[in-house]
Amino acid sequence: MSEIVVGVTGLHSSDNPGPGVGVARSLKEASDLNVRVVGLAYDAMETGLYLNQWVDHAFIIPYPSSGGNALLERLRYIKAAVGLDVVTPTLDVELPLYAKLEQTLAEEGIRTFLPTAEQFRLRGKDRLVDVASAIGLHLPRTAVVSSIADVQDALKEFSFPVMVKGVFYKAYRAYSATEAVGHALALAVEWGYPILLQEIISGEELNVIALGDGQGGCLGLVGMKKIWTTPLGKIWTGVTIRNEVMEAAAQKFIETYCWRGAFELECIVDGNKVYLIEINPRFPSWCYFATAVGVNLPANLVRTALGRPAVSSQHFDAGRLYIRSIDERIIDMSIFQKMVTKGET
Amino acid sequence: MSRLGALAVNEEGFVFDPTTGDAFTCNHAARLIVRGLIEGKTTRAIAEVLADIFDVDAGVAERDVHDFIDHLRVLKLV
Repeated sequence: MSEIVVGVTGLHSSDNPGPGVGVARSLKEASDLNVRVVGLAYDAMETGLYLNQWVDHAFIIPYPSSGGNALLERLRYIKAAVGLDVVTPTLDVELPLYAKLEQTLAEEGIRTFLPTAEQFRLRGKDRLVDVASAIGLHLPRTAVVSSIADVQDALKEFSFPVMVKGVFYKAYRAYSATEAVGHALALAVEWGYPILLQEIISGEELNVIALGDGQGGCLGLVGMKKIWTTPLGKIWTGVTIRNEVMEAAAQKFIETYCWRGAFELECIVDGNKVYLIEINPRFPSWCYFATAVGVNLPANLVRTALGRPAVSSQHFDAGRLYIRSIDERIIDMSIFQKMVTKGET
Repeated sequence: MSRLGALAVNEEGFVFDPTTGDAFTCNHAARLIVRGLIEGKTTRAIAEVLADIFDVDAGVAERDVHDFIDHLRVLKLV
């Protein structure tokens, strides 16, 4: 079986882990693919780089803010050094740049399978109203505001507590108008406008992860409920579920937008009502959970990127438990030194 | 019986709702009621089973069954 070399980003494995380790582990477990994983990191302290049971090579790459040419040059170097057939960027901030470089990378023999720029924009929280309505989900009452004066006006229509959300990142719960304005100011400074005010819905927090083929077809999905989360809201334990409304919404999302690549829908379910809270246009950090219950989405992404048929058996059972735990790795200092000084191991 | 029919109930009284991921534990009596409702039995028929097993009056058992169904309603299981 010929070897496939896949570059994986998002390898920070901390209390706010990236999806990269789960993607790498999933690829290693695909028995029909002979994958060699190249870890692509922005910092030598991305701890997943040192998990050599899943990551075969490690390279430092330039930050997306350095632009396409710097990234392209580095990926060319990596391809020449160890090979590179597919790259799977797993962080939101990387996606627009890789999408822009898709054609150039393909011409150099490096495949990707990512959402288009227009699809990527759907993740914006200011687009959730349209998306929720298009895929048959509810949206908590939401006001999209573009100034602090608008925040103050809009707050008159909400009861407290209320969620104050940045357009792409961060969300705060505010218990008073003063607190809401304070959060809005901080978000505006960090992420700009618009800002969203959103009513708080009570219910179960359920998530679904899926892969779209870019033509309206679904290459697998798995639903789960987070049982325990960290103070940062990151999953610590979870359980697979079969929620028809949520699964149908994920299928509809793929069909409606011809979604290309991985995504996660974050929902709150109250009885038969499913509210859409967030769309992540990439694998979540828990993507290995789906692999372990029989739905290896990273492997299907690589197969599709290479023009191979995806694996269609995508059954999973409800009631499988996910448990995250701490592991410790002791390595020789020389490995870390090489990463710091040479940018590769 | 809405979500009730989808519940997985084991012999130890562990109940799992595959549509929401919720899990509950039931004692012996509660497990008999849940099983009975899933099987489509009437409250009277379930009460008769409880009365027989726990040696209580069937009328009292039927009131208990209705009380328990109210709990299930709060949990949106019926």
